[in-house]
Amino acid sequence: MGLYELAVLFDPRLPDEEVAELSDGVKELLSGLGAEIVKEESWGKKRLAYPIQKLTEARYVFFTVKVDDGNPFPEVEKRLEQNDKVLRYLTVRLDQGRLRRRGEEVAPVVPSTAATTPVPPVAPVGGELAAAEQKEAS
Amino acid sequence: MRGKPIRRKKKTFIKRRKVCRFCADKIATVDYKDTQTLHHFIVDRAKILPSRISGTCAKHQRIIQQAIKRARHIALLPYTAD
Repeated sequence: MGLYELAVLFDPRLPDEEVAELSDGVKELLSGLGAEIVKEESWGKKRLAYPIQKLTEARYVFFTVKVDDGNPFPEVEKRLEQNDKVLRYLTVRLDQGRLRRRGEEVAPVVPSTAATTPVPPVAPVGGELAAAEQKEAS
Repeated sequence: MRGKPIRRKKKTFIKRRKVCRFCADKIATVDYKDTQTLHHFIVDRAKILPSRISGTCAKHQRIIQQAIKRARHIALLPYTAD
């Protein structure tokens, strides 16, 4: 099918170990449903732009996932929905729609940061996310 | 208009053609996590900046719009200014 990104916002009151545990749970569930984890990225505690469930912070974790066949997301999203340690989640397809329709090789998302930060034009997915990470850190 | 002709100073208005910065930089996609870039395309009230102001082309405006909405969902950007 393609490359997807799953963003999950965990409760900020959870200790690090529990967030790691929950992340592992998500990864296990994904791989159990035929998805391949390409990258996991954790931003740690981050301030929210608006309060969610009266909380002003959340722990951001992003999973980049490659799915070849089947669709793991209905099940994964159902589980996330039921878990009250998860404040929000977001699933996004990373490869472009237009290329997808033409049946061409899908290009990884090149962030607009490429203009300001020196990133090779055809960066692999890992590189792209690392660039985003760098940007976030700065 | 009759009567005294009013002499108005001719306004010197230079129309600058706005160029879509994504087209200029040949950027095809915008990451919803890239809030630094997205911040350029929201006004102080946290509304999405119209392309008529930013000069973004229709294609890229749609891409930005989608990215902003995604960023809002995971609370990286606000829906409203408080």
